[in-house]
Amino acid sequence: MIVSSDDIIIKTIARIFVPFIQLYALYVIMHGHYSPGGGFQGGVILGASMALLLITHGYDEVKRRLPEGVVMLLGSVGVLIYAGIGLTCLLLGGNYLDYSQLSVILHVDPAHARSLGILGVELGVGFTVMAVMYSIFFDISTGGILPEDQKQEEKLESEG
Amino acid sequence: MNEFFIAAGLALCLLVFLVLYRVIFGPGVFNRIAASSAIGTKTLIILLILGYVYNRVDMFIDISMVYALLNFIGCIAAAKYLEMER
Repeated sequence: MIVSSDDIIIKTIARIFVPFIQLYALYVIMHGHYSPGGGFQGGVILGASMALLLITHGYDEVKRRLPEGVVMLLGSVGVLIYAGIGLTCLLLGGNYLDYSQLSVILHVDPAHARSLGILGVELGVGFTVMAVMYSIFFDISTGGILPEDQKQEEKLESEG
Repeated sequence: MNEFFIAAGLALCLLVFLVLYRVIFGPGVFNRIAASSAIGTKTLIILLILGYVYNRVDMFIDISMVYALLNFIGCIAAAKYLEMER
């Protein structure tokens, strides 16, 4: 399990750096169709920012900021956004993920609807990738055994 | 100007091999971490030079920023791992 670093330089730099990394990740997601990047890459950068926080500030601090339940919720919501946009296009009479059909709901011309639809899909992909990257890193760093589980097991053993 | 950039990029590629020697044979882990971080910095500059050669700096600057970021995080992660080993 990762404990908080006691080095003030590392902690301060990470604290200042993490918001900028997350802002850059949002830029990569939002600007995905004009420059390199997109949902997956932006999600990986978001996950990397959380990994940096976990390395420098330790398990307890990160768990307080982003509990594992919220992570799983974010991952599921991302898949829901992706599949929901695709199924909405299907219900409106087009193919799966045929964004131009969204122009009926969004009240814009089909070209704009395509742009907005792909942005929504990228957002969903970004959420899911960020949650899964973070979850994988979390599980590897704790060895799959969370401290509270360990405490509970010890309690059960001492009782029985 | 393009020839100058290509020559500079090739020189940096050769320098990467010099630093790679430190990564493989270097005495101690601190030399290795510092050398791998230096390789990351050189790769970043080579990427930017490639951007100048292809006339697409605006694209390559995004990639190089992500590369610098992951290089930083990787360096800290390696240092943290060694701290836990101790």
